[in-house]
Amino acid sequence: MTETIGSIIILAGAFFLFSAGVGLLRMPDTYTRIQAGTKASTLGNILVLAGLGFHHPDWALKLLVIAAFVLLTNPLSSHALSRAAHAIGVPLAPSTVVDALAERNRARAEEKRSS
Amino acid sequence: MYNPVAACIMTASSQSVRPFRSGWPVSPVEEESQRAPNALPGGLAALWLLLLVLWIVFNASAAPAILLVGVLAAGVIAWIFTTRSAVWSDVRLTPLRLYHFLCYAGVFLVEMVKANLGMLRYVYAPRIDIHPGIVRIDLRLSSPIGRLALANSIALTPGSLVMDIDDDALFIHWLDVRTTDAELATEMIAGAFDKHLGKVFG
Repeated sequence: MTETIGSIIILAGAFFLFSAGVGLLRMPDTYTRIQAGTKASTLGNILVLAGLGFHHPDWALKLLVIAAFVLLTNPLSSHALSRAAHAIGVPLAPSTVVDALAERNRARAEEKRSS
Repeated sequence: MYNPVAACIMTASSQSVRPFRSGWPVSPVEEESQRAPNALPGGLAALWLLLLVLWIVFNASAAPAILLVGVLAAGVIAWIFTTRSAVWSDVRLTPLRLYHFLCYAGVFLVEMVKANLGMLRYVYAPRIDIHPGIVRIDLRLSSPIGRLALANSIALTPGSLVMDIDDDALFIHWLDVRTTDAELATEMIAGAFDKHLGKVFG
């Protein structure tokens, strides 16, 4: 019985991971793709780990620690990727409304030139 | 009689606001001069406990020998990290802080599930109709770990991703920009976490 519940939870997690993949293909630009990859995959990972916990109850604490590390590292990598992409000038999607980061960089360049 | 809540308020108010420089936290030399001699480095107990719990979980046993090695190793590592870096000095274990940390964890879990479901809606929409953009929001927390926690939480919540950090501002890539006003955007993106994290890390 618990194995069935575990399997269903793992299946739900796999669905979220699949959606992350679909999001990577469908989103318009780098940044929105990173977003799709970060968001849908965190819950996917955690559900898969939770499902494993039903199959092997003695792993529960270790799985919890793994889930915590996923939560800590997933945003970090997405942050580093998007920051690097913006720094080398990867274009934003045409539907983008505002880019405060570029404005700040322009303002900084102005300051440097005038001083 | 010891009153934990009052003690917490007192330590919170007597805490001097340290200027935060982007980059590496305040050097240990500067920190040393402000600290009372013989006092344990701030955050030592918290880090020690955290490492010890991790050690026990990884070993899946609390036999005396394993426990002894864990206590020693965790103590040495915690000592090195708390004396070499000021990052951990904002971490203190008090009941009030623990309560706010649990509140934050609850808010975070709810927001994370919402973010994932929201992402599903975007991904499976027949036509992806979004207006992404990068907005600037105010950063009210001063402690480095608090800032880290806030940035991580923002990255895992509905349609927002931290891209860069200034002294007092975060630049957020927002999947569907609803406002460009800094005040409103701060409230919408960080409001839920800010309140509790401010209490946890000061």
